[in-house]
Amino acid sequence: MKIVVASGKGGTGKSMFASSLALLFSEITNVVACDCDVDAPNLGLWLGVTTYDSVEAISTSERAKINNEKCVGCGKCFENCAFGAVEKIDSRFIINPLLCEGCGVCQLVCPTKAIDLAPVMNGEIRIKKTKWGFPLVSGQLKPGETGSGKIVQELRKRADELSHEIMILDAAAGIGCPVIASITGCDYAVLVTEPTPSGFSDLMRVLKVVNHFSVPYGVILNKWDINPEASQRIEKWSGERFLGKISYDREVVNSIVNLRPVILSKSKVKKEIREIFEKIQESIEKECS
Amino acid sequence: MRLIASTGGKGGTGKSTFAILSALKFSNQGKKVLLCDCDVECPNDHLLLGRELQEPEPIYQDFPELDAEKCVSCGICSKICKENAIFWVKGKPPIFFEDLCSGCGACWIVCPQNAIGTKKKIIGKTFEMKINDNLWLLTGMSEPGIVETGPVVKEVKKRALELAERIDAEVLIVDTAPGTHCNVIQALLGCERAYIVTEPTPLGAHDAALILKLLKMMKIPSEIVLNKADVGDPNVIKGIADEYGVQVTIKIPYSERLIRAYSEGKLDRMVDLI
Repeated sequence: MKIVVASGKGGTGKSMFASSLALLFSEITNVVACDCDVDAPNLGLWLGVTTYDSVEAISTSERAKINNEKCVGCGKCFENCAFGAVEKIDSRFIINPLLCEGCGVCQLVCPTKAIDLAPVMNGEIRIKKTKWGFPLVSGQLKPGETGSGKIVQELRKRADELSHEIMILDAAAGIGCPVIASITGCDYAVLVTEPTPSGFSDLMRVLKVVNHFSVPYGVILNKWDINPEASQRIEKWSGERFLGKISYDREVVNSIVNLRPVILSKSKVKKEIREIFEKIQESIEKECS
Repeated sequence: MRLIASTGGKGGTGKSTFAILSALKFSNQGKKVLLCDCDVECPNDHLLLGRELQEPEPIYQDFPELDAEKCVSCGICSKICKENAIFWVKGKPPIFFEDLCSGCGACWIVCPQNAIGTKKKIIGKTFEMKINDNLWLLTGMSEPGIVETGPVVKEVKKRALELAERIDAEVLIVDTAPGTHCNVIQALLGCERAYIVTEPTPLGAHDAALILKLLKMMKIPSEIVLNKADVGDPNVIKGIADEYGVQVTIKIPYSERLIRAYSEGKLDRMVDLI
């Protein structure tokens, strides 16, 4: 069973909730937690993890390089690159490593075979057996590298190899490649939103991806009390999909400052999260049986 | 014209809030300002200003389309595709998975039969609007399901520079997506200064370090904007700032009034905060 936590908007509480969900499920079954936000992985911090048992450098992308001795300056690479990664400086062409996706089009169109593609070590996969008894698989795309979706695929493979009944996947913000790679193939999605126009608008956008892959979902409203009227509208809109709401509590900030999981803190949201956990189990039973 | 960016690595730290408040502040000073929302996967600047997006201008990109009559089922397209977006079994024509396709063009370039043509597909849209006498907003939005949003941001930036010239803007403020990958890189390209909006928590510090690393590679000078400055532990940010040799230049205090204005789409009331 794979449960993905997503939201579209950043900072709505995905990692906070995903860490809680992993801890709560670990009380009853075998869990693996999977941090799929490879740009800005924070699930570890919410579980109090700052060091890893294993760190493996991986390559999921390639990068082009122009050999100046063979280049005749025809500009075909420049004309054909869909990502704007070939730059013209005076009469010479160079590859901007920050923009190259490694698709190989430049190499294909180069008449003098002046372009080579070489693998790039663009990320890491880190694994930690947490002190809570279950493993965390976390990925990191190196800043400035491409291929975040493929790193997500790779770390999901590693997580799959670890014995588990439930996999909790914490998705990145947005709705692009890393998020698509996180949602695809999941059995259930927990969508975290907040009572703000942007929280709701981004929920609608991530929902399009979730529906595209026909993943059953439920909605959680975080920080509901910062705007009770807006919360009421979202709750009504969610109907049967509504899983529950979590209060805004500055104690949550203290728990992350102290690297203590929220459900083990003094925060009042502990109880609310437990109630949502019960509701998720019911919802999964109904949707996925 | 000044070209500055509001970014931050982590989501929900206040990038859009800072970008909007800065844009309003400059425009109140009588400067002509263009705010460009480059968080194309989840653009929100218009919502925070209580506006609706109107009159979309589509952004197109070429995607492959197979001409089954010309195809000889050789499978070369499938082998060349780095995204594994083309599925092929011997003796059968290839099947294209649009969900995985980045539109790079390798397949139609490599096809020996010229059996792969192109079709234009909308990958995103831009929306232009005037907020007040001195302030314009250009919002970029990707189509849901588009894998590579970097090319969308690239076109949004191009249109922003054209609009900036048309309105004679003195400042162009780019609001980026969270994260550090292609869509953020495209948004940061060409910016003369980046403001890293973060919060005083281990999460903020962790993600600010990642974006600082990227900005260093891109040789873009940067400074830190500490949001909710009085919640959490400011020392964690100080450590990162020292490590990368940048300053915390702006502090925004935790404010119930700001949270309320944000949730009501009325950020224009909060310009006194920075």
